[in-house]
Amino acid sequence: MPREPIIIFDHFTYSYPTTPNALVDIDLKIHRGEVLGVIGPNGAGKSTFCKSLNGLVPHFYGGTVKGRVLVDGKDTLEMTPAELSLKVGLVFQEPESQLSGLSLTVEDEVGFGLSMLGFPSELIRERAREALEKVGLKGFEKRSPFELSGGEQQRLAIATVLAMKPEVMVLDEPVALLDPIGKYEVLSTVIELASEGSTIVIAEHEIEEIAYFANRILALNEGRIVSLDDAKKVLAEVEKLKSLGVDPPSVAELSYMLERELGVKIGEYPITLPEALKIYGELVRERWERK
Amino acid sequence: MSSLALSILQRKPVERETFIHRLDARVKFVFFLWISIWAYIFLDYVVTLIFLAGVMVLNLLGRNFSRTMKAVSIIIVPWIAVASLILGAYFPWNKTLLVKFEGILFGYDYALYYEGIAWSVTWPLRIGVCIASAMFFLFTTDPVKLIALLFKLRVPFRFIYGIAGGLQLTPILLNDLHTIMEAQKSRGLRTDVSIMKRALHYLALIVPLTLSTLNKVQIRATALEARGFSAPVQKTWPYDLSLKRRDYAFIAGMIIMTAVFAFIYIFYGFSPICRLEFYILGYGG
Repeated sequence: MPREPIIIFDHFTYSYPTTPNALVDIDLKIHRGEVLGVIGPNGAGKSTFCKSLNGLVPHFYGGTVKGRVLVDGKDTLEMTPAELSLKVGLVFQEPESQLSGLSLTVEDEVGFGLSMLGFPSELIRERAREALEKVGLKGFEKRSPFELSGGEQQRLAIATVLAMKPEVMVLDEPVALLDPIGKYEVLSTVIELASEGSTIVIAEHEIEEIAYFANRILALNEGRIVSLDDAKKVLAEVEKLKSLGVDPPSVAELSYMLERELGVKIGEYPITLPEALKIYGELVRERWERK
Repeated sequence: MSSLALSILQRKPVERETFIHRLDARVKFVFFLWISIWAYIFLDYVVTLIFLAGVMVLNLLGRNFSRTMKAVSIIIVPWIAVASLILGAYFPWNKTLLVKFEGILFGYDYALYYEGIAWSVTWPLRIGVCIASAMFFLFTTDPVKLIALLFKLRVPFRFIYGIAGGLQLTPILLNDLHTIMEAQKSRGLRTDVSIMKRALHYLALIVPLTLSTLNKVQIRATALEARGFSAPVQKTWPYDLSLKRRDYAFIAGMIIMTAVFAFIYIFYGFSPICRLEFYILGYGG
């Protein structure tokens, strides 16, 4: 799975002008084609981590920095967010607030970033078409972005990022404010992108969903790395996650309870429903055969 | 909030396609400045009324008439009414008596004079011209074309950012106001109370509304920045920004009218029809 690193955090510490130690000594590598899930309680530093990937931290917010973040070998401090927008695309939490508000149609909105960077019109239109098709919004080109539902707007936001063809796509709690249908729409799109080998960093407060497609999980608390390992390993650390104030996947929690309360030997905890089905199925079959 | 205020503040994207909508944003902006300046140069309510009528005709052609008419009326009619009552009686240069009411004001006489009323009518009409021409420009111009225009005019980036923020602020503010109001109502905020009490309720919304709106505007600003808004490159716009024949025709019309207005001003003065005289350097005629 992991290939060469596309992003390197080199002992990166950041303080906002008004909030010290938003991130403390972050030292990690994100590899091409990897899906990294970022979890943690409120105020853990997930959003700051995401914004440090495309240079909004510190260029937009100011504050003090120690260490560095390298994107494709280049220091984010030496690049502007505009330059970085072609390397790292960021999708925010609120669907409507991240629309430019300056485009009349969905198609123009998707091409907005490329327009701002001076790409030729033909290329913008082509990329907009491709991106809209990819997120399942083909046929919405001439509609107003503000007429779309929350889930559609969030997919539009993903399309605006996809059109820039960034090397890394960063999603900062992209489904937090969506209804179940919106969540399903957006996560299906993310899963499809992940399956195509895109490099994705996704911050999520609820981790049930990302268990399905994240390769690795970074757990943050108070701006520091608490865990960084394979998704299966981090998400199965039920007690640790609970102590952080993060709900582990329900199947992992159930396994933990079965083991602790009833003494059922489960071994490696499942983190997704299909894994749970397999493990519990074997357990039931064993019991059945013993009888 | 009234539907008019909502429609103005929400600034729904321009979807109509008329000759006026197709005019270049620069031309419409110059028109706004041009007519506002002329409305200020002439101190003559008939001339100003003609200017206002002219702008309203353009709004009519741009299918922006009723909204503009309502906004202008809401602002200038009460203004004229109140100002006429006060300045009609107490304007320093009052000279020509129109009507006198004896003992009507706590036993005192109350008289209305032409000069004060003329002043009270002319000023709101001037403001009406500015508002109507501003609405003509804003509501018949796509926001993105407006931003494109500013980029093309090499307006400082921070200023463009401010305009973009302003364009985004009002719809966000209204959405938030609606959400917060609903939340307050669901927690027992009474709406069947007097206007004064309702005003106090609105005051209570200011803090949450301001914080929430500022937060969202910042998210939008970061989202714009993350998409290269400040990149120091020549932007690409999905439409042609060059001036067309219709634009040149409109500019030619403005030039001709400038010559006509200048002629009137030079030979007939700043009040060619009503012959108002009290305005020169505050000395009165």
